[in-house]
Amino acid sequence: MVASVRTEPQSFNWYTQHDGTTDVLTFLTQARLVRVNRVTQEIEPWLAERWTRADDGRSYTVKLRANVTFADGHPFSADDVLFSFAAAYDPKGGGPTIGGDVMAGGQPLRVSAPDPLTVVITFPVPFAPGLRLLDNLPILPKHKLEAALQAGTFADAWSLSTPVSEITGLGPFVLTDFRPGQRLVFSRNDRYFRKDSSGVPLPYLDRVVVDIVPDQNGQVLRLETGQADMMTSEARPEDYAALKRAADRGRVQLVDLGGALDADSFWINLKPGAFGADPRATWLQRDELRQAISFGVDRKAFADTVFLGAGVPVYGPVTPANRKWFSSAVPQTPYDPARAEALLAGIGLTDGNGDGMLEDARGVAARFSLTTQKGQTALERGAQVLRDELKKIGLAVDIVALEGNAAVARFVSGQGYEAAYFHIGMTDVDPALQTEYWLSAGGFHVWNLGQKTPATAWERQIDELMARQTAALDEGERKRTFDEVQKIFAEHLPVVHFAAPRIFMAASSRVMGLTPAVQRPQFLWSPDSLWVRP
Amino acid sequence: MSRRPALHAFTVQRLGASVLITTAVAALAAPFVAPHETDRRFPGLLNAPPTAVRLRDAAGSWRAPFIYPWTRVSQLEQRYEEDRTSPVPLAWLATGRLVASSDDGRAPLLLLGADSFGRDVFSRLLFGARLSLALALLAALGATLIGALLGGVAGYVGGVVDDVMMRASDFVLVLPAMYVALVLRAMMPLTLDAPAVFALLAAIFAVVGSPFIARGVRAIVRTERALDYAAAAASLGAGHARVLCRHLLPAARGFLVVEITLLVPAFIVAEATLSYVGLGFPDTIASWGTMLEDASNIAAFADFPWLLSPAAAMFLVVWGLNLTLQNRSAGAQYERLM
Amino acid sequence: MLFFLLRRLVFAGFLVFAVSSASLLLAELAPGDYVTGTLGFSATPEEMAALRARYGLDRPLAEQYVDWLARAARFDFGRSLANGRPVADLISEAAANTALLATTALVLATFIGLPLGVFSGARAGGVLPGMVRAASVFLLSMPPLLTSLFLVFLAARTGWFPIGGMSSIGPGGPGGNMESFEYVAIDLLRHMVVPVLALALPLSAMFERLQAQATAEVIAQPYVLATLARGVPRSRVVWRDALKAALRPVASIYGLVVGTLLSGSFAVEVITTWPGLGSLMLNALRARDVYLVAGCAAAGSIFLAAGTLVSDAALALVDPRARE
Repeated sequence: MVASVRTEPQSFNWYTQHDGTTDVLTFLTQARLVRVNRVTQEIEPWLAERWTRADDGRSYTVKLRANVTFADGHPFSADDVLFSFAAAYDPKGGGPTIGGDVMAGGQPLRVSAPDPLTVVITFPVPFAPGLRLLDNLPILPKHKLEAALQAGTFADAWSLSTPVSEITGLGPFVLTDFRPGQRLVFSRNDRYFRKDSSGVPLPYLDRVVVDIVPDQNGQVLRLETGQADMMTSEARPEDYAALKRAADRGRVQLVDLGGALDADSFWINLKPGAFGADPRATWLQRDELRQAISFGVDRKAFADTVFLGAGVPVYGPVTPANRKWFSSAVPQTPYDPARAEALLAGIGLTDGNGDGMLEDARGVAARFSLTTQKGQTALERGAQVLRDELKKIGLAVDIVALEGNAAVARFVSGQGYEAAYFHIGMTDVDPALQTEYWLSAGGFHVWNLGQKTPATAWERQIDELMARQTAALDEGERKRTFDEVQKIFAEHLPVVHFAAPRIFMAASSRVMGLTPAVQRPQFLWSPDSLWVRP
Repeated sequence: MSRRPALHAFTVQRLGASVLITTAVAALAAPFVAPHETDRRFPGLLNAPPTAVRLRDAAGSWRAPFIYPWTRVSQLEQRYEEDRTSPVPLAWLATGRLVASSDDGRAPLLLLGADSFGRDVFSRLLFGARLSLALALLAALGATLIGALLGGVAGYVGGVVDDVMMRASDFVLVLPAMYVALVLRAMMPLTLDAPAVFALLAAIFAVVGSPFIARGVRAIVRTERALDYAAAAASLGAGHARVLCRHLLPAARGFLVVEITLLVPAFIVAEATLSYVGLGFPDTIASWGTMLEDASNIAAFADFPWLLSPAAAMFLVVWGLNLTLQNRSAGAQYERLM
Repeated sequence: MLFFLLRRLVFAGFLVFAVSSASLLLAELAPGDYVTGTLGFSATPEEMAALRARYGLDRPLAEQYVDWLARAARFDFGRSLANGRPVADLISEAAANTALLATTALVLATFIGLPLGVFSGARAGGVLPGMVRAASVFLLSMPPLLTSLFLVFLAARTGWFPIGGMSSIGPGGPGGNMESFEYVAIDLLRHMVVPVLALALPLSAMFERLQAQATAEVIAQPYVLATLARGVPRSRVVWRDALKAALRPVASIYGLVVGTLLSGSFAVEVITTWPGLGSLMLNALRARDVYLVAGCAAAGSIFLAAGTLVSDAALALVDPRARE
């Protein structure tokens, strides 16, 4: 089977490089203790066969599967688990090692191995997601990497210069060939531990080829002509027509996964003093402005134009695709331009000179710039539709499309931008694993990131609720608390969402056993049960 | 020799000139000729095909020019069908425009279809011509001036001066232009107005384009310098500048003409490339470069070929430029000889 | 002559130094860096700081630069930030791939463009020369991105050629039974068709235009007319006497063409997924992979210097007066 990715992997080591292609490679070659089933969004046993939770709710006794071996024949044991944790917390890792992904409340877990097939994991604080965290930790072979860890060179281990024969794992496939800039070839791991329900050893496929195709046009053409069997990421709205035709001819199966997990986000720079002595500072950071913007945009029309019809209206950061945590109780702002104008009048923005556009009391035009990323069609299109919609309620918007890095540099520093329209993606569906976004001190709290103390009363309230939410062990309580968080968010709207794209995945019609999920990699998160019709 | 080539050259040249003049007139008269503004969106007509202007209705009877509205068959695939039941007559010279649909909201006149934003491609093509052609021609002129001067001096003086100047032009060529543009962008205010972008792009293009010109001019000047007439002029006491400008540079005229026709399309396209790093015009302003960039996907080839119309327009302009300029120099020489 | 070559070498060395230094400096001045690019928002400030420290990006610019210079002087150009591979390896691999395309395209373009240029320049009128000219202008006015995309699209629709990449997976597969040499060679040739055409078509159009203009001018010169008047056959005058004099413009920009071709084309390589210098450089530029960018720029300047030398040699060959 041939799949295509957009970029070359940055490393063969998911612990040190978190790019999309390394992610795909990890799903193919590695296995975790427990796995989040991307379709049900629930966890299921994987290398861990079963586990029990102690009464304090913080410590878990995990039984590992017996008779599991790495692809190179070396047996798997609790030592490898201990090693993987040690590697994840390696202080010499430098940068975004996997460490942060397997911490609770910013502290590492304690792990011990009473016997070779048992691991005891203790959380430093009460942590609601529990073992869900282990989905972030592919188990690495101690016998291959221990030397590097001890030498302090783990961060550079398993780089692209490493011979592929050195790369081994517990996953369904083994990397057998890497041609830089061209392709990765994976062969079946005959020692893989899973069997299907009728006892046939998995995986079914003998070989998976991952072609590196930087241009999405090329990916679509390969799929259409049968030179590739799947794209590992979703199709663009502009590719739909071509793929639909190929589907009508029976060449391609087109899967509609519904709305995406993330919606593109609009926010105004809420860093205190961001606007200095600018006369607009009096109204730019007011809640009413963002509320008015939310009322002033026809989300249905927005979705139809921005995603060429393949979009769904969205009202908050948690979209309906997040089945467990989406709440229909959270208020949704309808399209109501009159309401928007009333809100704007409330903060002193009226059309004083009769030109159809608003001004504040001193006659300064209600005008701000909107920074977005150049080269991302959906973002550019979204910013333009936003501008046109806001013009109708009298707000003037100047779009500033910057190169991605330059835009992010401005957002992270909190300086040099007024409003932003940008894609921010959550890594997990569970809110307890999104604290960087929700907490006022978080680095991903985009509208005013890294606060020392919460800047507003409602942000303090969210901080407290999220702390409760993360610690609570009762799922019902967690859900209620998070609904509360979403309600506060919807009231103050620090980030306004308008529409999420519908995710379309395309694969050749000969690929069977697909279990598509909205999260990336939509197809290849579960590669062991794929097969190809002859 | 017969006079035929000269005559022929003359007609070809007229053809070229008429292409250019038509384009220029259409571009200048865009507010009158174009049925719509460049940023007017028809949300229900994303990627709609061109509307055909008809004279015969479904019943087969003749009538004043009219169009059929498009009805959307599939939103996701952007397929449309003509609604034959309700012809919409065209309105001439109404609301200050040459021609438009009499019911613009329901059945806009889209002579070259709509783009993926639902904007009228024909109107954008006309308005875009103003910006793209003005920018490309100005920049090409600037590049020619800089290049001819540098190349001329380098070729005339020779030696170390020549080497330094040519290496400097190499430097300009291999410098990562993207970073230069990013640094320039970071030094400028967050929102840029169109005139500032125009001036900046023209300057950047003129500098980046000049090495190509300088290289050729240098070679030509260098060989011409050795010819008798230059030596004669110099011995008659003509100053260096005079020898260079009056005697040597004219020999490069033909080369310059070809280079201009190479640079113009390259600059039109480069405008879109620089907008990637934020040095672009506000999106409300149409340009051929950005239109072409938006059309750079397989859907345009397979399903929406009208999105490629800026490419066709660019061909016409470059061809016209080529016919006009090239035959002027060659033709002039023929005529001189006759 | 030796002195001339030596001087050229010194200047080329200086160019390489200046270009790579300027790239490093510009990359530092441009907003954002490799860390903002890869981590974006998803990381905490501490993680960003740690990653900067790991790559040494937290040091003052002068220190980074001096360190880089010291290593570059020993031919160690650093490692790519994105994937940790040595810059020298990445560039030499990609440069070999690009060189394959570039030389093929250059040879093709020269052998198509120059004769056509002489042909269409020698006669001012006529339908055929007019068509040649229109075709050239057409090719020249197409954005390179569209030309490549169209050729790829055509290859996909007709199924005649592979859509992209350098090789296909053989029936036996890599690591399995090795494919025969013929299979590999033919496979490579088939993959080269689309990118070579995408490069060579506009290039031959450019050669054709320059050559046609120069030929037309030379033919109008009194000495050529005089030769014709003496009864020398027209074709002989055009193809032998005029050709040499008219090669000047093409020869003069040949160096630039060689230099830019060897540096790789962004549009062609990305669209046809050819793993060459162009796509390497584009990725490096976008990711702010500073050492790789500096390396690519240095490679580009070496190619350009070499190309210029070729160009000057060619110029001296067609026109002895241009010699020093």
